[in-house]
Amino acid sequence: MDIILLLMLLFPLAGAVLNAVSAGRLPRRLSGNVASMAVLGSLIMAIAGFILLGERTLVVSLVDWVSVENFSASFAFLYNPLAAIMALMVTFVSFLIHLYSVSFMREDKDYCRYFAYLNLFVFSMLVITLADNLLFFYLGWEGVGFCSYALIGFWYQDPEKAAAGRKAFVVTRIGDVAFGIAIALSFFLFGSLSLTYIYGHLGGLTQVSATVLGLLLLWGAMGKSAQLPLTVWLPDAMAGPTPVSALIHAATMVTAGAYLLIRLFPVVRLSPLALAAIAGVGALTTMYGSLSALGQRDIKKVLAYSTISQVGYMVLAVGAADIIGSMFHLLSHALFKSLLFMCAGYVIQALDDEHDIFRMGNLRRLLPHIYWPFLIGALCLSAFPMIGGFFSKDRILLATFLGPGIIYKVFWAMALLAAFLTPLYTFRMFFAVFQERPGGRSAEEIKPVPPFMAYILWPLAILAFCDGLLNLPFGPGKDWLARYFSVLAGAVVALPAPPGYELSMSVGSGAVILAVLLFTYVLYRPPGPKFSAPRLEAFLFEGLYLDKLYYSVFVVPYERLARFWWQTVDEGGIDRGLDGTAQLFAMLSRGLGYWATGRLSTYVKMLLVGLTVFFSALAVRWYLW
Amino acid sequence: MTIFGIIFYVLAAIILIATVLSITRRTVMHAIIYVVISFFAMAVLFYLLGAPFLALLEVIIYAGAIMVLFIFIVMMLRVEATPFVPGQWLRQWFPAVVLSLISLFIMGILIWQGPGRDATLPLAMAAPRALGQFLLQHYWLAVEIASLLLFVALVGAYYLGHKGDSGEKS
Amino acid sequence: MIVPYSHVLILASIIFILGAACAVARRNLIMILVGVEIMLNAAALVFISASLFWQKLPGQAFVIFLFAVAAAEVATGLALIVHIQRRTGSVISDDYNHMKG
Repeated sequence: MDIILLLMLLFPLAGAVLNAVSAGRLPRRLSGNVASMAVLGSLIMAIAGFILLGERTLVVSLVDWVSVENFSASFAFLYNPLAAIMALMVTFVSFLIHLYSVSFMREDKDYCRYFAYLNLFVFSMLVITLADNLLFFYLGWEGVGFCSYALIGFWYQDPEKAAAGRKAFVVTRIGDVAFGIAIALSFFLFGSLSLTYIYGHLGGLTQVSATVLGLLLLWGAMGKSAQLPLTVWLPDAMAGPTPVSALIHAATMVTAGAYLLIRLFPVVRLSPLALAAIAGVGALTTMYGSLSALGQRDIKKVLAYSTISQVGYMVLAVGAADIIGSMFHLLSHALFKSLLFMCAGYVIQALDDEHDIFRMGNLRRLLPHIYWPFLIGALCLSAFPMIGGFFSKDRILLATFLGPGIIYKVFWAMALLAAFLTPLYTFRMFFAVFQERPGGRSAEEIKPVPPFMAYILWPLAILAFCDGLLNLPFGPGKDWLARYFSVLAGAVVALPAPPGYELSMSVGSGAVILAVLLFTYVLYRPPGPKFSAPRLEAFLFEGLYLDKLYYSVFVVPYERLARFWWQTVDEGGIDRGLDGTAQLFAMLSRGLGYWATGRLSTYVKMLLVGLTVFFSALAVRWYLW
Repeated sequence: MTIFGIIFYVLAAIILIATVLSITRRTVMHAIIYVVISFFAMAVLFYLLGAPFLALLEVIIYAGAIMVLFIFIVMMLRVEATPFVPGQWLRQWFPAVVLSLISLFIMGILIWQGPGRDATLPLAMAAPRALGQFLLQHYWLAVEIASLLLFVALVGAYYLGHKGDSGEKS
Repeated sequence: MIVPYSHVLILASIIFILGAACAVARRNLIMILVGVEIMLNAAALVFISASLFWQKLPGQAFVIFLFAVAAAEVATGLALIVHIQRRTGSVISDDYNHMKG
């Protein structure tokens, strides 16, 4: 088993190193295939591990990494059902995205760099998935942060794209600092950074420490998972290639925050305040994401804000003490969101890099291959009854409703509102892209796209469609996922809802979602919606002006301060000081040059001067004696 | 204040006046004549200070040979008197005067602060015979080297002064 | 008992300074050499007075060597002056400023 886990990690790392070292000397197909095969190797290892694991928890310790006085950290894996399922999801989705990327990046000249980074990202994400030691976890955490920066700013020659990469890195860094403090605090409280050790020694933890730890971990998760107030990097991150968005900003990196909270749930659940804070952040973010998605024109930005909203659901579920619901939604979301992103990538390439949905249209007729996968993805996202995301979202809503205190009912209302907005913005996008419209696209504007890119999406589409089977609330396979996860501490298999609650909530939400779908269809029937509210549209388009707020509060003063230090102090003060000193010497030497007249009388005069000085020195010495 | 003291001060006055006159003459020949006067007075001073042989040597070598050589060269080269340019005389002399005064002041301090300030010079005479014996007994090597030096100077002076194609050669 | 020793030294220093002033302030090469001679003379005076003060003879011996050196130096210097006067026709030191800069 150790070998399986080790190989799972080492395959993508080897792929990354190979691609980095060969630096473009390998032929394209080879480099892309090497990368994909590396991830396939990981996938096979993940499947093998999953089968062999069963229902136990395994701790595999590899190498001692740091050992100083009483602090030690090692490369150790905590392989339990949670990690097994997460590893399966990560490797499977990564594999499909690698295959997709081989086609998508076919015309890019930085092919090798892309695959090196992508493989390195998979490696880091698997480190996060498997790590037992918090320092090892942090290694993976930083690794995904770096790869995300490198991949978002992949086309760095465009300064906007490079700036987007930097923005992602800086904003997630703010979260990472809190996570680092949390790690230090954990060491202070427990004396060890091993998760298994922490799980077993929670007895002596005071309420205050648990709250502080929980809040710090929440802040850390906020950065990576793009929750309020650190959401601003994710919409800008759409500057990267679409497969990157599919992998990093749909399935893996943004879920790493939720995964962190789930991994450390035994610690977090000791503090009701921390749980409430987590739920609050999740609920607010869900609403924020849905509202902003409603005002977007760029197809990828709609999906980005949608991701923010959906990850908010996962975080909300953790706050409602339902980690099974959170994981369930994490899995569903990974499947349908990456599907949607890859479909969007197909459409963008077919229309020669067009991102604006209101400049698309007629694509049902023109791009038939992509119509059905996109529709399936959209239906899953909207939580269409019986399909894909319906069961997971329902479970989360139920768990939130059952939370202690009135505050959770408020959160439930916010999440419900977001759930009703989701089909609205999803199908606004869908109809704008695919419907027959007089102002839509025509056949000449379509660029040929390899159909492989559409075919590869079908496995994903089918899995997303049938995702609900993982954890049906009724029938023969009832609660399969929940029971599988029941070994985890704090996992609640069946939510303690009064009878009938569950059914009525599901039926109710299902009905409302269908109603909203119909409403959207009617609203967006050609020739398009008749009302317009420009101020509201602008407000939603700018992401509720959150970005602008940060810009004026943080960025502008910082730039001014930096400019002061640069121009006034560094250039004006230090540089001018140095220049002045140099010029002083030049002046001195020019002054001394006057004495070199070449005339004998001058030199004799100087001799006499020297003699005088000599005698004065003598006189001073003797006189002072 | 003995008679010898008076003689000393008179001689000192002569020397100083002659030297000052010498260095300020524009005609080189006049300057050399004044210097010769100064050297004669200096020779008498030497005799007063107990070195009769050296007084003799001063007259013969210094005033007699060296200064005469100067006169020969001046006559040979037909050196002309420096023309009087109004501002230039001051410009030349001003730094010299300033430096001289400063140096004089410093030297005065040195001499005044030194030991032996009020120590008086005794009256004595070094007999030539004694001087000669001493010289050739203890410093015979230096005498030989001095003669060598004079020989070198002779050769150099001949070579440099030789007319003909020595102008182009060096 | 002639005069205090310091008086002789002061006289010698004055003569020395006068010789230095002559060497500094005059432009004529020959006058510069005259100034050098005056300085050497002053030095000789110091030696003789010191020899009298300490009642030792080496002071006077040195004066003999001083005369020898002065003679050699004057001979060589004047020969040089003659030589350059023949080459460039001038004995004014200001005309020899090729080492300017």
